[in-house]
Amino acid sequence: MLACLALLQKPSYGYALLETLNEAGVTVDGNTLYPLLRRLEKQGLLTSEWNTDESRPRKFYQVSPDGSRVRSGLVREWRDLVASISRLTKEG
Amino acid sequence: MSTSLLTERYVHEVVRRLPADQREDIAEELRTTIADTVEGRNPADPRAAEREVLSELGDPVRYAARYTDRPLALIGPDLYPTYVRLLVTLLCTVLPAITFGLVALDVLDDKDLGPALGGGIATLFTLGCEIVAVLTVVFAVTERVRHRKGVVDAASWTPDDLPEVRQPEKAGVGAVASAVWDALLFGLIIWQHTAKPYRADGERFQVLDPDLWSGWVWPMLAGLAGLVVVQVARVAARGWTVPLAIGNAVSQALFTLSLAWVLHQKTLFNPDFLAHTKDLWSSSDQAYSGAALIVLAIGVSGVFKSFRSARG
Repeated sequence: MLACLALLQKPSYGYALLETLNEAGVTVDGNTLYPLLRRLEKQGLLTSEWNTDESRPRKFYQVSPDGSRVRSGLVREWRDLVASISRLTKEG
Repeated sequence: MSTSLLTERYVHEVVRRLPADQREDIAEELRTTIADTVEGRNPADPRAAEREVLSELGDPVRYAARYTDRPLALIGPDLYPTYVRLLVTLLCTVLPAITFGLVALDVLDDKDLGPALGGGIATLFTLGCEIVAVLTVVFAVTERVRHRKGVVDAASWTPDDLPEVRQPEKAGVGAVASAVWDALLFGLIIWQHTAKPYRADGERFQVLDPDLWSGWVWPMLAGLAGLVVVQVARVAARGWTVPLAIGNAVSQALFTLSLAWVLHQKTLFNPDFLAHTKDLWSSSDQAYSGAALIVLAIGVSGVFKSFRSARG
């Protein structure tokens, strides 16, 4: 979810996002990602728009201002967690 | 339309489970996504690739549920412990209480014990099914209502809900007493048969009906012997175990059911013995039925207790 919010600074659509995530090493299944995008949109963290310029009409998602705020919060929490775990595992 | 029939069927299966206002939008996006994915694999055989993509997306029911966040379980993990607790309580208390009450009422209404017991078994079954069905429906509805309201709390459990730990039996005094009592009963039945203790008019009679010896006394004796063995084993095992409780239930059933049947047929006592003692006490039909009921109640409660402490 954090990865979605991070990547969607620039508008993108479902399949392209999945590819980008997989290339970045975040493996995620389509049947998890697509519904997730919808839910984030419903919660107001993403905005969406149909783009009909290309061969197929595609739904492009982008992070909303609310989404940006949530993203910063999550990034902070994530860093804290990583820091705590690495401190805990350093001993061994 | 470049999408094939297979994709259409999949999309249809997904969107018909979604709220009407989102259907078209999600359907359109899903079609595009499936087509994009198939294309992205540069397949030699697009049909096979489409099949593959659809099987990766998985069961449309599950897929649709991810959009709506709908629960896929009849009773979710939040409510399940409460459900089980309540079900067990109701089946162990209300069900036997009502069944026994109804049988008792039937008997007091001068019905024969046999039909009354048959009615009791039927009640036990139908009422049991009803309790399970109603409780399940109530919890399933609650689950959906809570979900819609977004109530998510695994709370509402406090340490006060913990059941008391049942004390393990001390030295098994109860077990020894039961074993002695059952053995005594066993001995008495044999003794009154061989020694013919009742004397009247220069004759000696058995107290119990001699005809029993060509029939119902055998299961009674077998049951009693079984009970003695079980109680001795219970002392050795320092308490009830599940196999012991099962052995107890079988022996108890053997003894109790045959005794209740004999009481019900009013063939427990020797008719000659009864003829001589008529002046001392006369036995009415209701006394027999009542005695049979009491015997059954004691048997059932004993079996119930043994299982409870075996699971303890």
